[in-house]
Amino acid sequence: MATTFKTLTSTNDITSTRTLLHEAIPLTGTIASGTYTDTNIKTYSHGMFESVYDYPYLSSSANHVFDITTGYSSVSALSGTLSIQNSKKLNVYSQMAQVLVGYDATGSIQRFDKDGDIASGGDKINEALFINFSRLLSKDEMKKGSFAMKVHTAGTPAANSAEITIADHNAATSYKVNSPAGEYGILYTGSAAEATASNGVGLVYYQAGVVVLTGSVFAASEMGPGIITGSGFSAVATGSTIDVMANCFRNRLEDISFNNTVELNSTVYFCRASHNEFNYSANPTYLSESQIRVKNSTTDNPVSYVTTVGLYSSDNELLAVAKLSEPLKKDPNTELTLRVRLDF
Amino acid sequence: MAFLDNSGDIILDAVLTDTGRMRLAKGDGSFKIAKFALGDDEINYELYNKNHASGSAYYDIEIVQSPVLEAFTNNTSMMKSKLMTISRTNLLYLPQIVNNTSVGLSSYSATNNILTVLVDQTTVNDDSLATSTNDWINGYIIDKTTRPIVMDQGIKSDALGNGDDVVLDADLRETQYTIEIDNRFGKLWSGDGTTAAPPSFVDDDNVAVYYLSSRNDRFFSKLTSDEAIAGPRGSRLKFLVGPSTNLNSSTYLFTQLGTTSTLGGVAVYQIDTTVRITGVTTGYRVDLPIRFVKKQ
Repeated sequence: MATTFKTLTSTNDITSTRTLLHEAIPLTGTIASGTYTDTNIKTYSHGMFESVYDYPYLSSSANHVFDITTGYSSVSALSGTLSIQNSKKLNVYSQMAQVLVGYDATGSIQRFDKDGDIASGGDKINEALFINFSRLLSKDEMKKGSFAMKVHTAGTPAANSAEITIADHNAATSYKVNSPAGEYGILYTGSAAEATASNGVGLVYYQAGVVVLTGSVFAASEMGPGIITGSGFSAVATGSTIDVMANCFRNRLEDISFNNTVELNSTVYFCRASHNEFNYSANPTYLSESQIRVKNSTTDNPVSYVTTVGLYSSDNELLAVAKLSEPLKKDPNTELTLRVRLDF
Repeated sequence: MAFLDNSGDIILDAVLTDTGRMRLAKGDGSFKIAKFALGDDEINYELYNKNHASGSAYYDIEIVQSPVLEAFTNNTSMMKSKLMTISRTNLLYLPQIVNNTSVGLSSYSATNNILTVLVDQTTVNDDSLATSTNDWINGYIIDKTTRPIVMDQGIKSDALGNGDDVVLDADLRETQYTIEIDNRFGKLWSGDGTTAAPPSFVDDDNVAVYYLSSRNDRFFSKLTSDEAIAGPRGSRLKFLVGPSTNLNSSTYLFTQLGTTSTLGGVAVYQIDTTVRITGVTTGYRVDLPIRFVKKQ
């Protein structure tokens, strides 16, 4: 019986694979502080955070890059009714902490821990700057051990002084798993060799795509972007809005880089054409008055050319299609195995 | 759609069709790939030069240089012509499917060279439109249509012998057809106009697909003496296309998707579409233009 379909058997012709794809994401600080004279910085009337786009955000071409916000815990010395936007900063910290750190046995929100060892207490991050990366950049997750950020921690932004590099050194093999938001690493200043607990300045949550930076990085330095010069982090955190703090940070940002990860789950279909299969065509040009054009006599081999592979449901609905980059000759002297991979 | 880069290794550009995505989104397990077919939509076999001066290695030189388009996601736009598996290699002739207008419905008139459906009572009752000498489908009362659309399958050439004497090989005989119609415009009816066929499914582009088996004698009949098929004969498919309720009762689709014209001196709305007939066995496919007409 002539036929145009061939059944795929799940045991021999279909297999599944998982692949991790990484993209390098380099972000220059000028994106956040100058290239578009802040037309790519979106602020909100609620004042809870500030968004950075890669192009003026009113343009349809603009992509959301990251958000900046800041907050402190209720036990922080900065918390007080005289602090500007005090309740909002408390709320931001609590919200981020409940999502990223979770709750203790009593149901209370836990604070960010500097070394990730939440259970044993130790130093906590009570004042934090949060950088929430858009899913467009972080994709499924940030690659462990790939995050690095340079910021200036003193002087005016134009001075570009006191630059420090913050990175998640050794995180590829040494990361924490005690967060309800997935895996996270410790951010250190200095080189990989200096990645000790005392150099811990923050946390990076890989699946959540959030960086938590302790305010103490800036504590002994000026923090202002020219708007509030001569103030340390504490003064800015209590005397300024979240938007102003975000401005302070992004004007001191030199660059950020990391690799993202996309997890591709693929199904591979092996479409096998044996020597005696698919040698004829139903193409209207294949026949002239019913005679096969590619044959002169019955002894000639039939020939056909493959350009397309169609994958069908059992009721013959075309579910997926694959195109070859050039026609592939098929005759009784050839067998083909076309490997069609669908990524999900 | 752009062409695929064919300067280096052969690559496969694979995408889900819109139907595939729809089924995946349903999440009911209906996205299950069970079989495959190979297609050659871009190939023009007329370029196969059996008399190339440089020999047989060059017969297909122009074919293999054909650029290939990227994949379309529209499921009805792809796999228009499929490759066929026939275990024998000694075939020189293959059957075709032909619209037999001498036995079945022919075009409305010599000037309106297209199969025509008059969609409602007003149109059918207009003597200027529904002239007795012309062929048209009575969309008001389908079984009053004089002749069905007839598709004959077989080998057009009589090089293998006259169809009265030689039979078509059983493995090339079509016993099942699929017919695809835009579900907004038309429905499939049996050749005698008494039975409306239920579609097997309607896809996301509103294309209704009907499966017809030779066991259903309202759609099939024996192919005997015939002018369209001179050689060995296969099967004969008979059907009618009736208008959808929407075309019958409203001008909405006509004004949205159709045009206006005059027919027999009468102002009419019209929509032109295509009915696609595919033989399940051989994959041979015929696109039949058809026009729905409604009096203004």
